[in-house]
Amino acid sequence: MSAAGGGGGVSAVDPKKTLALGVIGGILGIYATPINPILGPLLAALGAVCGIIWGADAIARVASYGLGTGVPSIGYMSLAIAIVGVLAGLAGGLMIGSAYVLIAPLLGIVLAVILGGVVALVGKKIIGMKIPILVSCTMELAGASAVSVLGFSAAIAGSFAMPAILTSVVSTGFIGLLFILSTMAIQHPFNACLGPQENRVRTLKLAASTGFISMAIVGLLAMGFSKAWWVIAIIGAIAWFISIRAFIEASKEEAASIAWSGMWPKEEEH
Amino acid sequence: MDPLIMIGAITAGGLLIGGGVHFIPVGGAPAAIATATGVGTGTAMLAAGGGMTGLITAAAMTGSPLWLILAAGAVGSALMLAVTMLVGNWVYVWGVGCVPASAKVDKDPITGYPQDKYVTPGTEGHGIPTVCFVSGVIGGLLGGIGGGLAYWAVYESLVTLPAYAPLIGGQTSIVAAMLAGIFALGLFFINAVIASYNIGGTIEGFHDPKFKRLPRGALGCIIASVVTGLIGVLLLKGGVF
Repeated sequence: MSAAGGGGGVSAVDPKKTLALGVIGGILGIYATPINPILGPLLAALGAVCGIIWGADAIARVASYGLGTGVPSIGYMSLAIAIVGVLAGLAGGLMIGSAYVLIAPLLGIVLAVILGGVVALVGKKIIGMKIPILVSCTMELAGASAVSVLGFSAAIAGSFAMPAILTSVVSTGFIGLLFILSTMAIQHPFNACLGPQENRVRTLKLAASTGFISMAIVGLLAMGFSKAWWVIAIIGAIAWFISIRAFIEASKEEAASIAWSGMWPKEEEH
Repeated sequence: MDPLIMIGAITAGGLLIGGGVHFIPVGGAPAAIATATGVGTGTAMLAAGGGMTGLITAAAMTGSPLWLILAAGAVGSALMLAVTMLVGNWVYVWGVGCVPASAKVDKDPITGYPQDKYVTPGTEGHGIPTVCFVSGVIGGLLGGIGGGLAYWAVYESLVTLPAYAPLIGGQTSIVAAMLAGIFALGLFFINAVIASYNIGGTIEGFHDPKFKRLPRGALGCIIASVVTGLIGVLLLKGGVF
């Protein structure tokens, strides 16, 4: 079903850069939540956007091999893994006293990455999928999804402690919305841009715009819980405008180059 | 509830979900342009529709005996898939203008109607014939039971903890219900996508040759569900409260 097929091409963006952006930006953003009631949730939401960009790049790398099930399926699966891992990590193991709250988000991300690795190994060893980077990319995707869910949850709750997230994100049902919102933000960019002329820079511009519009929506969700809701919503909306404009301009430029050169290339370039 | 029972229930639930997906006529993109039999969308979307409806109906029965929760989940999922397939068939028959027919079998195993005469040359069938519909309903029932089982196990484990206890005796704890619901939904998606990898994206139902791959998919779902269950125990034993 996936039209991408070929797989394994050289990406215009170094995967290490998006990995670094997601891990460093995401984790710093989440851990910055308690510093200030306005700035903290804003940084957490920005960290979640970093996670979404990382996830969109990881999904583009793995899905360019053609999963046979469409791009969205691996997106839904990685978000499911991330939510199981994050909730278990946040609730889990208060064995080392109050310092635990500090390592809880990290534990959540690590649990998600482990579960992602197990599921990918099942796919590779038992189901027999022939994608060389399946395991590493699914682990990256699970980590990126965990960063985005954690960041948005912390932005709504104003804290990354489990009790706050339970009251303002889980019992209100926003966790279900975050599930679908982050899935869409992570899988849509590559699903929309895939094909022989896919340019990773353009895909990531779209990823930034889906991430920022999710951030604007998360700002609105935080209305009843956080003083920072309007800051998150306005900054998300402005950043969305800038990134979607950059994406539309990139699309027009590349569309024009195809129109002027006449024909589509006969074979996939990568 | 004993955590081991919870892991067992989650594993059984994951197995039922993964097995159920093998029954659902997932047509994917070829079916969306009426060149293959089945519903014209991917497994993830069908799992989202069937799984979420099943979990909502199962959660509506929270506090009832186990069999009632499982039955509610099964009926919810099966009903959602049945409505999806029925309305999809309306579109195929009156919108696209093709006869529901399968290219995988010569005769419909249930009605005995001949199929090959009605299959458009160059396609693998179109629409949702009776056997696919029945298979899809079976898949919905299995998936709903699996989702309901996982939901019940996590909810019953959570409400025994003081932090999740219902505010008023005999009522539902909303936090526990939401947490169990999202956990069961996560389990649903993980197993649905593993099953979908196993069938390579598209399948027609239990009459499809790909259905023989079921044991391999079931083994994969069991392993993934056991690990999910082990991680889920942290929800109970974490002792954040």
